[in-house]
Amino acid sequence: MPILNLLYENRDVQNIENLDVYEAHGGYQGLRRAVTLERQAVIDEIKTSGLRGRGGAGFPTWIKWNGLPKNFDKPHYIICNADEGEPGTYKDRELLLKLPHLLVEGMIVAGYACCGTAGYIYIRGEYVEPAWQIRKAIDQAYKQGYLGKNILGIEGFNFDLYVHMGAGSYECGEESALMSSLMGERGNPRLKFPHAPLPVIEGVWKSPTLVNNVETYCAATWIAKNSGAEYAKYGTERSKGSKIISVSGHVAKPANYEIELGTPLMELLKIAGGITGGKLKAVIPGGSSVQIRTAEQCEKINMDYESCSANGTLLGSGGFMAFNDKTDIVVLMRRTAEFYMHESCGKCTPCREGTRWIYKVLDRITSGAGRQGDIELLLDICSQIDGRSYCALGDAAAWPIVGAIKAFREEFEYWITHKRSPIGEDAVPPVPVVVNPLLTLTPA
Amino acid sequence: MAESETSNIREPLPAPAKERRFSAQAIAELEEIASHYPERKAACLPALWIAQREYEGYLPPPAIQEVADRLGLSYAEVEGVATFYTMYNLRKRGRHHLEVCTCLTCAVKGAYEVVHRLEKELGIHVGQTTADGEFTLSEAECLDFCGAATVMQVGDKYFTQLTPENVKQVIDQLRNSADYTPTKLADSLVKLLIPGSSETGGGSFAPKDLVNPAGPML
Ligand SMILES: Cc1cc2nc3c(=O)[nH]c(=O)nc-3n(C[C@H](O)[C@H](O)[C@H](O)COP(=O)(O)O)c2cc1C
Ligand code: SF4
Ligand code: FES
Repeated sequence: MPILNLLYENRDVQNIENLDVYEAHGGYQGLRRAVTLERQAVIDEIKTSGLRGRGGAGFPTWIKWNGLPKNFDKPHYIICNADEGEPGTYKDRELLLKLPHLLVEGMIVAGYACCGTAGYIYIRGEYVEPAWQIRKAIDQAYKQGYLGKNILGIEGFNFDLYVHMGAGSYECGEESALMSSLMGERGNPRLKFPHAPLPVIEGVWKSPTLVNNVETYCAATWIAKNSGAEYAKYGTERSKGSKIISVSGHVAKPANYEIELGTPLMELLKIAGGITGGKLKAVIPGGSSVQIRTAEQCEKINMDYESCSANGTLLGSGGFMAFNDKTDIVVLMRRTAEFYMHESCGKCTPCREGTRWIYKVLDRITSGAGRQGDIELLLDICSQIDGRSYCALGDAAAWPIVGAIKAFREEFEYWITHKRSPIGEDAVPPVPVVVNPLLTLTPA
Repeated sequence: MAESETSNIREPLPAPAKERRFSAQAIAELEEIASHYPERKAACLPALWIAQREYEGYLPPPAIQEVADRLGLSYAEVEGVATFYTMYNLRKRGRHHLEVCTCLTCAVKGAYEVVHRLEKELGIHVGQTTADGEFTLSEAECLDFCGAATVMQVGDKYFTQLTPENVKQVIDQLRNSADYTPTKLADSLVKLLIPGSSETGGGSFAPKDLVNPAGPML
């Protein structure tokens, strides 16, 4: 079964965002089960489940949970990364809106397992409507004794949960930039291991800090309720369980689909109603930061971490964008480059300058002024960002461009030689004539 | 168009006067929010939201100064934060700030056509505000509701599945609403942080049409 509704089990139940309905459908049973176990046993359940972070990097969740000191010497902070900003991804939005208690419960479970004192849900500022559902869920959970002091009547089990709203910055989704932002600073990333202690030892306010994605905590709720072994029954050898994929672009039924990891890409495409407006040309399987693949390459890809990377792309955050044969890949990459240029935090030179260079060169090509050698220039700029930037945003700005040049080199060449789109008049996206006055860039 | 008309860069202003605009309620909100963190500085982002509400939807230098004073931070530090995040307005915005996503999915699904239609309809370019102060038009980076492309944010609301044809309707609807959306958005973002606010009518819930006001998507 490719569709695998674990987290989505009760998504379509009326009023599931309300505590009483959520409880009537097995809600907070995961927490109740977790507190009957030793803290370490909960972490072991997560280990057994094979759950990997759903925010993009796919890091094994249990290693983070296990890394926090197992004592109450300092306050421990449990943070949820709900700063969803990756173009193509909108799974967290729906989880916040429809299943807010699934997240709240997962964070309380993490609070229990990791000796947490307080939690923060960092929600992107634009998500006002989803954030109200979270606010309501937290208020209800306090009333019902799932949050606050002596939770479920257990002496000394205290956990507070707060909402924190972002203010418009993709970079704040990066774990360490998120921590800066939570502490009231500009959203610049912080020095990382091995040059600085891991966040689980010294994160926000020099205290042990756990940061996980919305979907990761929601999966932890499911695991706490149904056991890690149950979760590990699904998926592949190294990619266990389910993943929510946000499908958008030229498909008949764009939506979030929860699928078993390992589902063939083409099957997911079929579930989403297939391509509209032409034939399949390309897919970006995991959000704008990952490499675009041609229709032919897509045949071989399964939606799991290993198969994606074996095929030169990444599962990322699950922002699946499908494009038909009217799509102009070069113009699309120009827009991608514009995104990273806009979102670069400016802290390090390779990314701050490099993202602008990539944009300028691509803008030059799509405005019909491309020069021979521009492709090599792009590859050269990218190679100077990739692996040399302070945080992964720089890498994420370079990968899609390199990926697109590898997969669709002839389209770049066509643009440079003929000064027009290889697709023709009705290509999408059109080369924008919108002059964004915020950008005072002159052609290089 | 002069550069200063369109950009989010502030006009040079004289040294900020020590203005105080936080109401008693705003101060109470700030203190409540500050108590959620071990350090007062962490209330900087929320305090800027409060300021954006109290100062008519944007952050002139006196607003920055007031936040700095109330949190015991330097002017430069707060200015640094305010200029980092795109949702803090450094210039006054129209009564409705239209932010149209033109990122990947929206771009291939016709976002630029929507932008052009809006430009024609309102007689302004992206980055400008109409003469009557009703609308400001901006391009936005991905608003992360790509399945419902084209997406537009106006204050605390998303409008989805926009096309050049239906966007006029949205404009008319906004014209007839009494809201001043930049302050309404700031107010929501403050209330969201206050425990218990969901019960005291903080949020206007309508979970049924929250998911997608425009159609059957999702
Ligand atoms: C530029 C950038 C943006 C990111 N944005 C997000 C995001 O919006 N949401 C998210 O959960 N993780 C995001 N991440 C990944 C986080 O850094 C981090 O890996 C994640 O929050 C860890 O949670 P997980 O282990 O549950 O995936 C981003 C990373 C980078 C480099
Ligand atoms: S790579 Fe450098 S400039 Fe880019 S976002 Fe990260 S720290 Fe900032
Ligand atoms: S591309 Fe417009 S909402 Fe994501």
